[in-house]
Amino acid sequence: MSIELASVHPTRLELLRLRRRKSMAEGIVDILKKDLDALTLKLFELVKKIPPLRDKMYKTLREAYELFVEAEMISGSRKIEGVSLAAQPIDFSISEDKKKGVLGIIFPTLQLSEENRASGPRFNLLDTSANLDESATKIKDALYDIVKLAEIEGSVRIILEVMSIKKRQMNRIQFKILPQLNAAIRYIELILEETERQDAVRVRVLQRKRKERALKHA
Amino acid sequence: MSAWKYKRIMPKIAVAKLKIMEPKEITNLAGMSLHHISSILEKTPYKAEISEIRTELTANSLEDALLKNFINTCEELMEMSPKRIRLLLSTFLMKFEADCVKAILRAKKAELDMDEAMRYIMPVGRLDEARCRKILEISENIADVAESLSDMEYGSVLEKAFAVYEEEKVFYLLEVDIDRHVYSKIWRTIGKLGGLDKKIARTVIGLEIDSANVKTILRCKAMGISEGQIRRYLIPVSEVFGEKELEEVIRESDIHSFINSLVRLARDAMSRDYQYIFTEIQKQNVTSLTTLEKLLDRGLIETSLRMIKRYTPYFNIGLLLAFLNLKWFEVRNLRTIMRGTESGIPPDTIKKMLLLPR
Repeated sequence: MSIELASVHPTRLELLRLRRRKSMAEGIVDILKKDLDALTLKLFELVKKIPPLRDKMYKTLREAYELFVEAEMISGSRKIEGVSLAAQPIDFSISEDKKKGVLGIIFPTLQLSEENRASGPRFNLLDTSANLDESATKIKDALYDIVKLAEIEGSVRIILEVMSIKKRQMNRIQFKILPQLNAAIRYIELILEETERQDAVRVRVLQRKRKERALKHA
Repeated sequence: MSAWKYKRIMPKIAVAKLKIMEPKEITNLAGMSLHHISSILEKTPYKAEISEIRTELTANSLEDALLKNFINTCEELMEMSPKRIRLLLSTFLMKFEADCVKAILRAKKAELDMDEAMRYIMPVGRLDEARCRKILEISENIADVAESLSDMEYGSVLEKAFAVYEEEKVFYLLEVDIDRHVYSKIWRTIGKLGGLDKKIARTVIGLEIDSANVKTILRCKAMGISEGQIRRYLIPVSEVFGEKELEEVIRESDIHSFINSLVRLARDAMSRDYQYIFTEIQKQNVTSLTTLEKLLDRGLIETSLRMIKRYTPYFNIGLLLAFLNLKWFEVRNLRTIMRGTESGIPPDTIKKMLLLPR
Protein backbone atom coordinates (compact mmCIF):
# COMPACT_ATOMS: atom_id res chain seq x y z
CA MET A 1 0.00 0.00 0.00
CA SER A 2 3.07 2.19 -0.03
CA ILE A 3 2.87 5.22 -2.26
CA GLU A 4 5.78 6.14 -4.53
CA LEU A 5 5.70 9.84 -5.23
CA ALA A 6 7.07 9.27 -8.70
CA SER A 7 4.08 7.18 -9.63
CA VAL A 8 1.53 9.65 -8.32
CA HIS A 9 -0.44 11.44 -10.97
CA PRO A 10 -0.62 15.05 -9.86
CA THR A 11 -4.20 15.48 -10.84
CA ARG A 12 -7.15 16.90 -8.97
CA LEU A 13 -8.91 13.54 -9.29
CA GLU A 14 -5.93 11.78 -7.72
CA LEU A 15 -5.89 14.38 -4.95
CA LEU A 16 -9.55 13.69 -4.19
CA ARG A 17 -8.88 9.95 -4.22
CA LEU A 18 -5.92 10.33 -1.87
CA ARG A 19 -7.89 12.56 0.52
CA ARG A 20 -10.63 9.93 0.59
CA ARG A 21 -8.03 7.27 1.34
CA LYS A 22 -6.58 9.41 4.11
CA SER A 23 -9.91 9.92 5.84
CA MET A 24 -10.62 6.20 5.55
CA ALA A 25 -7.21 5.38 7.09
CA GLU A 26 -7.91 7.78 9.95
CA GLY A 27 -11.27 6.05 10.48
CA ILE A 28 -9.54 2.68 10.60
CA VAL A 29 -7.08 4.00 13.20
CA ASP A 30 -10.03 5.13 15.31
CA ILE A 31 -11.67 1.71 15.05
CA LEU A 32 -8.40 -0.04 15.88
CA LYS A 33 -7.97 2.20 18.93
CA LYS A 34 -11.46 1.32 20.11
CA ASP A 35 -10.73 -2.42 19.52
CA LEU A 36 -7.53 -2.10 21.52
CA ASP A 37 -9.44 -0.48 24.37
CA ALA A 38 -12.00 -3.27 24.36
CA LEU A 39 -9.27 -5.91 24.27
CA THR A 40 -7.35 -4.21 27.10
CA LEU A 41 -10.50 -4.19 29.24
CA LYS A 42 -11.10 -7.89 28.57
CA LEU A 43 -7.43 -8.63 29.26
CA PHE A 44 -7.59 -6.89 32.64
CA GLU A 45 -10.82 -8.70 33.41
CA LEU A 46 -9.17 -12.06 32.70
CA VAL A 47 -5.88 -11.21 34.42
CA LYS A 48 -7.80 -10.19 37.54
CA LYS A 49 -9.28 -13.69 37.72
CA ILE A 50 -5.87 -15.41 37.72
CA PRO A 51 -4.42 -14.57 41.20
CA PRO A 52 -7.48 -15.66 43.23
CA LEU A 53 -7.85 -18.81 41.15
CA ARG A 54 -4.13 -19.58 41.47
CA ASP A 55 -4.28 -18.95 45.24
CA LYS A 56 -7.30 -21.22 45.49
CA MET A 57 -5.47 -23.91 43.54
CA TYR A 58 -2.34 -23.67 45.72
CA LYS A 59 -4.49 -23.73 48.87
CA THR A 60 -6.40 -26.80 47.65
CA LEU A 61 -3.15 -28.58 46.73
CA ARG A 62 -1.60 -27.71 50.10
CA GLU A 63 -4.68 -29.03 51.92
CA ALA A 64 -4.65 -32.16 49.77
CA TYR A 65 -1.00 -32.77 50.61
CA GLU A 66 -1.60 -32.20 54.33
CA LEU A 67 -4.55 -34.61 54.29
CA PHE A 68 -2.44 -37.14 52.41
CA VAL A 69 0.34 -36.93 55.00
CA GLU A 70 -2.28 -37.25 57.75
CA ALA A 71 -3.65 -40.36 56.00
CA GLU A 72 -0.10 -41.74 55.94
CA MET A 73 0.34 -40.88 59.61
CA ILE A 74 -2.85 -42.77 60.50
CA SER A 75 -2.60 -45.80 58.23
CA GLY A 76 1.14 -45.96 57.59
CA SER A 77 2.94 -44.68 54.53
CA ARG A 78 3.74 -48.14 53.20
CA LYS A 79 0.11 -49.18 53.39
CA ILE A 80 -1.06 -46.06 51.57
CA GLU A 81 1.61 -46.63 48.95
CA GLY A 82 0.50 -50.26 48.67
CA VAL A 83 -3.16 -49.31 48.39
CA SER A 84 -2.31 -46.83 45.64
CA LEU A 85 -0.75 -49.65 43.59
CA ALA A 86 -4.13 -51.23 43.05
CA ALA A 87 -6.39 -48.20 43.37
CA GLN A 88 -8.76 -47.76 40.47
CA PRO A 89 -7.31 -45.01 38.32
CA ILE A 90 -9.48 -42.13 37.18
CA ASP A 91 -9.14 -41.20 33.54
CA PHE A 92 -9.69 -37.55 32.95
CA SER A 93 -10.39 -36.08 29.55
CA ILE A 94 -10.30 -32.47 28.52
CA SER A 95 -12.74 -31.40 25.86
CA GLU A 96 -12.00 -28.16 24.09
CA ASP A 97 -14.81 -25.97 22.92
CA LYS A 98 -14.88 -22.55 21.27
CA LYS A 99 -16.70 -19.56 22.61
CA LYS A 100 -17.20 -16.21 20.89
CA GLY A 101 -15.92 -13.44 23.08
CA VAL A 102 -15.09 -9.78 22.75
CA LEU A 103 -14.93 -8.48 19.11
CA GLY A 104 -16.01 -11.91 17.93
CA ILE A 105 -12.65 -13.42 18.86
CA ILE A 106 -12.96 -17.15 19.51
CA PHE A 107 -11.73 -18.13 22.99
CA PRO A 108 -11.09 -21.72 24.06
CA THR A 109 -13.25 -23.26 26.79
CA LEU A 110 -11.79 -26.33 28.44
CA GLN A 111 -14.00 -28.88 30.12
CA LEU A 112 -12.43 -31.47 32.44
CA SER A 113 -14.48 -34.60 32.84
CA GLU A 114 -14.02 -37.99 34.46
CA GLU A 115 -14.07 -40.73 31.87
CA ASN A 116 -14.76 -43.77 34.01
CA ARG A 117 -16.64 -42.55 37.04
CA ALA A 118 -16.58 -45.53 39.40
CA SER A 119 -19.80 -46.56 41.08
CA GLY A 120 -17.91 -47.48 44.25
CA PRO A 121 -14.83 -46.43 46.17
CA ARG A 122 -11.48 -46.58 44.41
CA PHE A 123 -9.71 -48.49 47.17
CA ASN A 124 -10.44 -50.61 50.22
CA LEU A 125 -12.01 -48.36 52.84
CA LEU A 126 -11.04 -50.57 55.78
CA ASP A 127 -7.33 -50.06 55.13
CA THR A 128 -7.45 -46.31 54.82
CA SER A 129 -8.81 -43.32 56.66
CA ALA A 130 -11.26 -40.66 55.51
CA ASN A 131 -8.32 -38.26 55.11
CA LEU A 132 -7.30 -40.14 51.98
CA ASP A 133 -10.75 -39.68 50.41
CA GLU A 134 -10.70 -36.00 51.29
CA SER A 135 -7.18 -35.66 49.90
CA ALA A 136 -8.24 -37.34 46.63
CA THR A 137 -11.28 -35.07 46.40
CA LYS A 138 -9.12 -31.99 46.97
CA ILE A 139 -6.67 -33.09 44.27
CA LYS A 140 -9.61 -33.49 41.91
CA ASP A 141 -10.83 -29.98 42.81
CA ALA A 142 -7.33 -28.64 42.19
CA LEU A 143 -7.32 -30.30 38.75
CA TYR A 144 -10.52 -28.43 37.83
CA ASP A 145 -8.86 -25.17 38.97
CA ILE A 146 -5.74 -25.98 36.94
CA VAL A 147 -7.85 -26.53 33.82
CA LYS A 148 -9.75 -23.27 34.47
CA LEU A 149 -6.41 -21.48 34.80
CA ALA A 150 -5.23 -23.01 31.54
CA GLU A 151 -8.42 -21.81 29.88
CA ILE A 152 -7.86 -18.26 31.12
CA GLU A 153 -4.20 -18.36 30.11
CA GLY A 154 -5.25 -19.54 26.64
CA SER A 155 -7.69 -16.65 26.33
CA VAL A 156 -5.06 -14.17 27.57
CA ARG A 157 -2.60 -15.44 24.98
CA ILE A 158 -5.15 -15.07 22.19
CA ILE A 159 -6.03 -11.54 23.35
CA LEU A 160 -2.36 -10.55 23.52
CA GLU A 161 -1.81 -11.95 20.03
CA VAL A 162 -4.80 -10.05 18.64
CA MET A 163 -3.70 -6.92 20.47
CA SER A 164 -0.22 -7.10 18.99
CA ILE A 165 -1.70 -7.60 15.48
CA LYS A 166 -4.03 -4.63 15.96
CA LYS A 167 -1.18 -2.55 17.36
CA ARG A 168 0.98 -3.42 14.36
CA GLN A 169 -1.84 -2.51 11.99
CA MET A 170 -2.39 0.78 13.82
CA ASN A 171 1.30 1.64 13.79
CA ARG A 172 1.54 0.81 10.11
CA ILE A 173 -1.36 3.12 9.29
CA GLN A 174 -0.29 5.87 11.69
CA PHE A 175 3.40 5.92 10.97
CA LYS A 176 3.64 4.66 7.38
CA ILE A 177 0.47 4.94 5.36
CA LEU A 178 -0.82 8.26 6.72
CA PRO A 179 2.55 10.08 6.34
CA GLN A 180 2.85 8.70 2.79
CA LEU A 181 -0.67 9.82 1.97
CA ASN A 182 0.02 13.23 3.51
CA ALA A 183 3.21 13.51 1.45
CA ALA A 184 1.41 12.50 -1.74
CA ILE A 185 -1.43 14.92 -1.07
CA ARG A 186 1.03 17.70 -0.31
CA TYR A 187 2.97 16.81 -3.46
CA ILE A 188 -0.14 16.94 -5.63
CA GLU A 189 -1.27 20.15 -3.94
CA LEU A 190 2.12 21.72 -4.62
CA ILE A 191 2.13 20.56 -8.22
CA LEU A 192 -1.42 21.81 -8.69
CA GLU A 193 -0.57 25.14 -7.06
CA GLU A 194 2.48 25.41 -9.30
CA THR A 195 0.38 24.63 -12.38
CA GLU A 196 -2.18 27.21 -11.28
CA ARG A 197 0.52 29.78 -10.82
CA GLN A 198 1.99 29.00 -14.25
CA ASP A 199 -1.47 29.17 -15.77
CA ALA A 200 -2.10 32.53 -14.09
CA VAL A 201 1.20 33.92 -15.38
CA ARG A 202 0.47 32.54 -18.83
CA VAL A 203 -3.01 34.16 -18.78
CA ARG A 204 -1.57 37.46 -17.65
CA VAL A 205 1.12 37.34 -20.40
CA LEU A 206 -1.48 36.47 -23.00
CA GLN A 207 -3.79 39.23 -21.74
CA ARG A 208 -0.89 41.71 -21.84
CA LYS A 209 0.06 40.60 -25.37
CA ARG A 210 -3.60 40.86 -26.43
CA LYS A 211 -3.77 44.38 -25.00
CA GLU A 212 -0.53 45.37 -26.77
CA ARG A 213 -1.81 43.93 -30.02
CA ALA A 214 -5.07 45.83 -29.62
CA LEU A 215 -3.20 49.08 -28.93
CA LYS A 216 -0.98 48.53 -32.02
CA HIS A 217 -4.02 48.02 -34.28
CA ALA A 218 -5.72 51.04 -32.78
CA MET B 1 -14.71 -72.47 83.47
CA SER B 2 -12.63 -71.41 86.43
CA ALA B 3 -10.43 -68.36 86.49
CA TRP B 4 -7.48 -70.72 86.97
CA LYS B 5 -7.04 -70.94 83.19
CA TYR B 6 -5.68 -67.37 83.21
CA LYS B 7 -2.88 -68.18 85.67
CA ARG B 8 -0.10 -67.85 83.08
CA ILE B 9 -1.34 -65.19 80.72
CA MET B 10 -2.66 -62.57 83.13
CA PRO B 11 0.59 -61.86 85.04
CA LYS B 12 2.33 -61.57 81.67
CA ILE B 13 -0.29 -59.08 80.41
CA ALA B 14 -0.25 -57.14 83.69
CA VAL B 15 3.53 -56.68 83.36
CA ALA B 16 3.32 -55.88 79.63
CA LYS B 17 0.55 -53.33 80.32
CA LEU B 18 2.81 -51.58 82.81
CA LYS B 19 5.37 -51.18 80.03
CA ILE B 20 2.91 -49.36 77.78
CA MET B 21 4.03 -45.77 77.39
CA GLU B 22 2.17 -43.10 79.31
CA PRO B 23 0.26 -40.53 77.18
CA LYS B 24 2.68 -37.82 78.33
CA GLU B 25 5.69 -39.88 77.27
CA ILE B 26 4.13 -40.33 73.81
CA THR B 27 3.22 -36.66 73.32
CA ASN B 28 6.74 -35.65 74.38
CA LEU B 29 8.11 -37.56 71.38
CA ALA B 30 6.34 -35.21 68.95
CA GLY B 31 8.91 -32.83 67.54
CA MET B 32 11.93 -35.04 68.29
CA SER B 33 14.14 -36.35 65.51
CA LEU B 34 13.80 -39.96 64.34
CA HIS B 35 17.15 -40.86 65.92
CA HIS B 36 16.06 -39.38 69.22
CA ILE B 37 12.73 -41.22 69.07
CA SER B 38 14.53 -44.45 68.20
CA SER B 39 16.94 -44.08 71.13
CA ILE B 40 14.01 -43.51 73.51
CA LEU B 41 12.11 -46.50 72.08
CA GLU B 42 15.19 -48.65 72.62
CA LYS B 43 14.48 -48.36 76.34
CA THR B 44 10.98 -49.84 75.83
CA PRO B 45 9.74 -53.30 74.76
CA TYR B 46 10.44 -52.26 71.13
CA LYS B 47 14.20 -52.56 71.77
CA ALA B 48 14.68 -55.99 70.16
CA GLU B 49 12.87 -55.12 66.91
CA ILE B 50 14.51 -51.68 66.60
CA SER B 51 17.98 -53.14 67.10
CA GLU B 52 17.24 -55.49 64.16
CA ILE B 53 16.91 -52.54 61.76
CA ARG B 54 19.75 -52.97 59.30
CA THR B 55 18.79 -50.30 56.81
CA GLU B 56 18.77 -46.54 57.19
CA LEU B 57 16.64 -45.28 60.07
CA THR B 58 13.44 -44.00 58.50
CA ALA B 59 9.81 -43.72 59.56
CA ASN B 60 9.11 -46.81 57.43
CA SER B 61 11.83 -48.97 59.00
CA LEU B 62 10.75 -47.91 62.49
CA GLU B 63 7.09 -48.54 61.61
CA ASP B 64 7.99 -52.08 60.49
CA ALA B 65 9.82 -52.63 63.79
CA LEU B 66 6.79 -51.47 65.78
CA LEU B 67 4.40 -53.68 63.80
CA LYS B 68 6.73 -56.67 64.21
CA ASN B 69 6.78 -56.00 67.95
CA PHE B 70 2.99 -55.94 68.06
CA ILE B 71 2.74 -59.21 66.16
CA ASN B 72 5.47 -60.83 68.30
CA THR B 73 3.64 -59.72 71.46
CA CYS B 74 0.40 -61.26 70.18
CA GLU B 75 2.23 -64.50 69.34
CA GLU B 76 3.88 -64.59 72.78
CA LEU B 77 0.52 -64.10 74.48
CA MET B 78 -1.04 -66.70 72.23
CA GLU B 79 1.47 -69.33 73.36
CA MET B 80 0.60 -68.95 77.01
CA SER B 81 -3.16 -68.48 76.55
CA PRO B 82 -5.84 -71.03 77.33
CA LYS B 83 -7.17 -72.92 74.30
CA ARG B 84 -10.12 -70.74 73.31
CA ILE B 85 -8.31 -67.48 73.86
CA ARG B 86 -5.39 -68.85 71.85
CA LEU B 87 -7.85 -69.53 69.05
CA LEU B 88 -9.19 -65.98 69.31
CA LEU B 89 -5.67 -64.53 69.23
CA SER B 90 -4.74 -66.65 66.25
CA THR B 91 -7.80 -65.41 64.35
CA PHE B 92 -6.99 -61.88 65.56
CA LEU B 93 -3.56 -62.27 63.96
CA MET B 94 -5.31 -63.23 60.73
CA LYS B 95 -5.95 -59.51 60.30
CA PHE B 96 -2.22 -59.13 59.68
CA GLU B 97 -2.14 -62.22 57.47
CA ALA B 98 -4.99 -60.70 55.50
CA ASP B 99 -2.93 -57.51 55.12
CA CYS B 100 -0.11 -59.66 53.80
CA VAL B 101 -2.41 -61.43 51.29
CA LYS B 102 -3.82 -58.08 50.17
CA ALA B 103 -0.30 -56.69 49.72
CA ILE B 104 0.64 -59.72 47.57
CA LEU B 105 -2.49 -59.24 45.46
CA ARG B 106 -1.77 -55.53 45.01
CA ALA B 107 1.82 -56.24 44.04
CA LYS B 108 0.66 -58.77 41.43
CA LYS B 109 -1.96 -56.34 40.12
CA ALA B 110 0.73 -53.68 39.77
CA GLU B 111 3.09 -56.26 38.22
CA LEU B 112 5.93 -55.43 40.59
CA ASP B 113 9.09 -57.48 40.63
CA MET B 114 9.89 -59.65 43.64
CA ASP B 115 12.08 -57.20 45.60
CA GLU B 116 9.82 -54.26 44.93
CA ALA B 117 6.78 -56.31 45.98
CA MET B 118 8.44 -57.42 49.22
CA ARG B 119 8.73 -53.75 50.23
CA TYR B 120 4.97 -53.67 50.72
CA ILE B 121 4.59 -57.07 52.33
CA MET B 122 4.98 -57.73 56.03
CA PRO B 123 5.37 -61.50 56.46
CA VAL B 124 3.37 -62.76 59.39
CA GLY B 125 2.16 -66.03 60.87
CA ARG B 126 1.72 -68.75 58.28
CA LEU B 127 2.74 -66.35 55.55
CA ASP B 128 6.42 -66.07 56.39
CA GLU B 129 8.95 -64.46 54.07
CA ALA B 130 9.81 -67.69 52.24
CA ARG B 131 6.13 -68.43 51.60
CA CYS B 132 5.46 -64.89 50.38
CA ARG B 133 8.43 -65.02 48.03
CA LYS B 134 7.30 -68.41 46.71
CA ILE B 135 3.78 -67.13 46.05
CA LEU B 136 5.16 -64.12 44.22
CA GLU B 137 7.51 -66.33 42.24
CA ILE B 138 5.01 -68.91 41.06
CA SER B 139 2.09 -66.55 40.50
CA GLU B 140 1.78 -64.86 37.17
CA ASN B 141 -1.42 -63.02 38.04
CA ILE B 142 -4.08 -62.58 40.72
CA ALA B 143 -5.77 -65.86 39.81
CA ASP B 144 -2.49 -67.70 40.41
CA VAL B 145 -2.17 -66.04 43.85
CA ALA B 146 -5.61 -67.41 44.76
CA GLU B 147 -4.52 -70.84 43.58
CA SER B 148 -1.22 -70.77 45.47
CA LEU B 149 -3.14 -69.91 48.64
CA SER B 150 -5.52 -72.84 48.16
CA ASP B 151 -4.12 -74.64 51.23
CA MET B 152 -5.29 -71.72 53.39
CA GLU B 153 -8.81 -70.35 53.79
CA TYR B 154 -7.82 -67.25 51.79
CA GLY B 155 -7.61 -69.47 48.69
CA SER B 156 -11.29 -70.42 48.75
CA VAL B 157 -12.32 -66.86 49.70
CA LEU B 158 -10.35 -65.46 46.78
CA GLU B 159 -11.66 -68.12 44.44
CA LYS B 160 -15.23 -67.07 45.18
CA ALA B 161 -14.37 -63.37 45.02
CA PHE B 162 -12.46 -63.85 41.80
CA ALA B 163 -15.62 -64.70 39.85
CA VAL B 164 -17.06 -61.30 40.82
CA TYR B 165 -13.74 -59.62 40.08
CA GLU B 166 -13.64 -61.16 36.60
CA GLU B 167 -17.12 -59.83 35.95
CA GLU B 168 -16.83 -56.35 37.43
CA LYS B 169 -13.05 -55.76 37.24
CA VAL B 170 -13.11 -54.02 40.60
CA PHE B 171 -9.97 -54.99 42.50
CA TYR B 172 -10.85 -53.82 45.97
CA LEU B 173 -13.81 -56.22 46.09
CA LEU B 174 -11.21 -58.98 46.55
CA GLU B 175 -9.78 -57.06 49.52
CA VAL B 176 -13.26 -56.47 50.93
CA ASP B 177 -14.05 -60.18 50.76
CA ILE B 178 -10.82 -61.05 52.59
CA ASP B 179 -11.60 -58.53 55.34
CA ARG B 180 -15.18 -59.75 55.62
CA HIS B 181 -13.93 -63.31 55.93
CA VAL B 182 -11.40 -62.46 58.65
CA TYR B 183 -13.84 -60.43 60.75
CA SER B 184 -16.55 -63.09 60.35
CA LYS B 185 -14.07 -65.71 61.53
CA ILE B 186 -13.08 -63.57 64.52
CA TRP B 187 -16.77 -63.19 65.32
CA ARG B 188 -17.38 -66.93 65.08
CA THR B 189 -14.39 -67.55 67.36
CA ILE B 190 -15.80 -65.11 69.90
CA GLY B 191 -18.98 -67.17 69.77
CA LYS B 192 -16.99 -70.15 71.02
CA LEU B 193 -15.91 -68.27 74.15
CA GLY B 194 -18.03 -68.65 77.20
CA GLY B 195 -19.68 -66.48 79.87
CA LEU B 196 -18.13 -63.12 80.66
CA ASP B 197 -15.30 -63.56 78.16
CA LYS B 198 -17.83 -63.83 75.36
CA LYS B 199 -19.73 -60.80 76.60
CA ILE B 200 -16.61 -58.62 76.87
CA ALA B 201 -15.16 -59.80 73.54
CA ARG B 202 -18.47 -59.23 71.77
CA THR B 203 -18.61 -55.69 73.14
CA VAL B 204 -14.98 -54.74 72.39
CA ILE B 205 -14.57 -56.45 69.02
CA GLY B 206 -18.20 -55.82 68.10
CA LEU B 207 -17.56 -52.14 68.63
CA GLU B 208 -14.49 -52.33 66.41
CA ILE B 209 -16.53 -53.95 63.64
CA ASP B 210 -19.44 -51.56 64.08
CA SER B 211 -17.06 -48.58 64.05
CA ALA B 212 -15.57 -49.87 60.80
CA ASN B 213 -19.06 -50.26 59.31
CA VAL B 214 -20.13 -46.78 60.45
CA LYS B 215 -16.96 -45.28 58.94
CA THR B 216 -17.54 -47.20 55.69
CA ILE B 217 -21.16 -46.05 55.43
CA LEU B 218 -20.32 -42.40 56.05
CA ARG B 219 -17.38 -42.39 53.65
CA CYS B 220 -19.45 -44.10 50.97
CA LYS B 221 -22.30 -41.65 51.49
CA ALA B 222 -19.84 -38.75 51.18
CA MET B 223 -18.72 -40.25 47.85
CA GLY B 224 -22.33 -40.55 46.71
CA ILE B 225 -22.28 -44.34 46.53
CA SER B 226 -25.67 -46.05 46.34
CA GLU B 227 -27.14 -47.90 49.34
CA GLY B 228 -27.04 -51.20 47.48
CA GLN B 229 -23.33 -50.78 46.81
CA ILE B 230 -22.59 -49.72 50.41
CA ARG B 231 -24.08 -52.97 51.73
CA ARG B 232 -21.44 -54.91 49.77
CA TYR B 233 -18.61 -53.26 51.72
CA LEU B 234 -20.01 -53.83 55.22
CA ILE B 235 -18.78 -56.51 57.57
CA PRO B 236 -21.82 -58.74 57.99
CA VAL B 237 -21.38 -59.43 61.72
CA SER B 238 -22.20 -57.14 64.59
CA GLU B 239 -23.03 -56.82 68.24
CA VAL B 240 -25.48 -53.90 68.11
CA PHE B 241 -25.73 -52.55 64.59
CA GLY B 242 -26.81 -55.59 62.63
CA GLU B 243 -27.45 -55.68 58.90
CA LYS B 244 -31.15 -54.93 59.36
CA GLU B 245 -30.48 -51.97 61.68
CA LEU B 246 -27.79 -50.54 59.43
CA GLU B 247 -30.06 -50.83 56.43
CA GLU B 248 -32.42 -48.37 58.09
CA VAL B 249 -29.76 -45.84 59.05
CA ILE B 250 -28.04 -46.01 55.66
CA ARG B 251 -31.04 -44.15 54.27
CA GLU B 252 -30.39 -41.12 56.49
CA SER B 253 -29.51 -38.15 54.37
CA ASP B 254 -26.93 -36.36 56.52
CA ILE B 255 -24.33 -37.14 59.13
CA HIS B 256 -26.36 -35.66 62.03
CA SER B 257 -29.49 -37.69 61.41
CA PHE B 258 -27.25 -40.72 60.85
CA ILE B 259 -25.60 -40.29 64.27
CA ASN B 260 -29.00 -39.61 65.88
CA SER B 261 -30.28 -42.90 64.46
CA LEU B 262 -27.21 -44.73 65.77
CA VAL B 263 -27.77 -43.26 69.25
CA ARG B 264 -31.38 -44.42 69.07
CA LEU B 265 -30.30 -47.90 68.00
CA ALA B 266 -27.74 -48.06 70.83
CA ARG B 267 -30.43 -46.99 73.29
CA ASP B 268 -32.89 -49.58 71.94
CA ALA B 269 -30.23 -52.27 72.26
CA MET B 270 -29.49 -51.02 75.80
CA SER B 271 -25.81 -50.99 75.02
CA ARG B 272 -24.18 -48.58 77.47
CA ASP B 273 -20.79 -48.54 75.76
CA TYR B 274 -22.26 -47.70 72.37
CA GLN B 275 -24.41 -45.04 73.98
CA TYR B 276 -21.33 -43.40 75.59
CA ILE B 277 -19.53 -43.17 72.26
CA PHE B 278 -22.35 -42.12 69.99
CA THR B 279 -23.87 -39.69 72.50
CA GLU B 280 -20.43 -38.07 72.77
CA ILE B 281 -20.26 -37.80 68.96
CA GLN B 282 -23.81 -36.43 68.93
CA LYS B 283 -22.90 -33.83 71.58
CA GLN B 284 -19.83 -32.67 69.68
CA ASN B 285 -21.97 -32.04 66.62
CA VAL B 286 -19.35 -33.61 64.36
CA THR B 287 -19.45 -32.73 60.70
CA SER B 288 -16.03 -33.91 59.58
CA LEU B 289 -15.43 -37.57 58.86
CA THR B 290 -11.85 -37.41 60.12
CA THR B 291 -13.02 -36.12 63.52
CA LEU B 292 -15.70 -38.79 63.62
CA GLU B 293 -13.11 -41.49 62.86
CA LYS B 294 -10.93 -40.17 65.65
CA LEU B 295 -13.81 -40.19 68.14
CA LEU B 296 -14.77 -43.73 67.17
CA ASP B 297 -11.19 -44.94 67.58
CA ARG B 298 -10.86 -43.21 70.91
CA GLY B 299 -14.18 -44.79 71.91
CA LEU B 300 -12.61 -48.16 71.24
CA ILE B 301 -9.70 -47.56 73.67
CA GLU B 302 -12.00 -46.11 76.29
CA THR B 303 -14.41 -49.05 76.02
CA SER B 304 -11.50 -51.48 76.49
CA LEU B 305 -10.38 -49.58 79.59
CA ARG B 306 -13.96 -49.43 80.87
CA MET B 307 -14.18 -53.21 80.63
CA ILE B 308 -11.28 -53.54 83.08
CA LYS B 309 -12.97 -51.19 85.52
CA ARG B 310 -16.39 -52.77 85.11
CA TYR B 311 -15.34 -56.38 85.55
CA THR B 312 -12.68 -57.71 87.91
CA PRO B 313 -9.44 -57.77 85.96
CA TYR B 314 -7.17 -60.84 85.74
CA PHE B 315 -10.07 -63.30 85.58
CA ASN B 316 -11.47 -62.55 82.18
CA ILE B 317 -10.49 -61.58 78.65
CA GLY B 318 -11.10 -57.86 79.32
CA LEU B 319 -7.52 -57.14 80.34
CA LEU B 320 -6.12 -58.96 77.31
CA LEU B 321 -8.32 -57.06 74.85
CA ALA B 322 -7.65 -53.77 76.62
CA PHE B 323 -3.93 -54.44 76.47
CA LEU B 324 -4.07 -55.32 72.76
CA ASN B 325 -6.04 -52.18 71.98
CA LEU B 326 -3.74 -49.98 74.08
CA LYS B 327 -0.70 -51.55 72.47
CA TRP B 328 -2.17 -51.17 68.97
CA PHE B 329 -2.99 -47.50 69.53
CA GLU B 330 0.48 -46.97 71.02
CA VAL B 331 1.97 -48.37 67.80
CA ARG B 332 -0.38 -46.18 65.78
CA ASN B 333 0.51 -43.07 67.80
CA LEU B 334 4.22 -43.73 67.44
CA ARG B 335 3.75 -44.22 63.71
CA THR B 336 1.84 -40.93 63.55
CA ILE B 337 4.68 -39.14 65.35
CA MET B 338 7.44 -40.67 63.23
CA ARG B 339 5.71 -40.12 59.89
CA GLY B 340 4.75 -36.59 60.93
CA THR B 341 8.31 -35.83 62.02
CA GLU B 342 9.68 -37.15 58.72
CA SER B 343 7.24 -34.98 56.75
CA GLY B 344 8.08 -31.90 58.79
CA ILE B 345 4.63 -31.57 60.37
CA PRO B 346 4.65 -29.14 63.34
CA PRO B 347 4.64 -30.90 66.76
CA ASP B 348 1.35 -29.27 67.78
CA THR B 349 -0.40 -30.69 64.71
CA ILE B 350 1.10 -34.12 65.40
CA LYS B 351 -0.10 -33.97 69.01
CA LYS B 352 -3.63 -33.17 67.84
CA MET B 353 -3.62 -36.34 65.72
CA LEU B 354 -2.65 -38.66 68.56
CA LEU B 355 -5.29 -40.99 69.92
CA LEU B 356 -5.02 -40.94 73.68
CA PRO B 357 -7.64 -41.95 76.23
CA ARG B 358 -9.01 -39.06 78.27
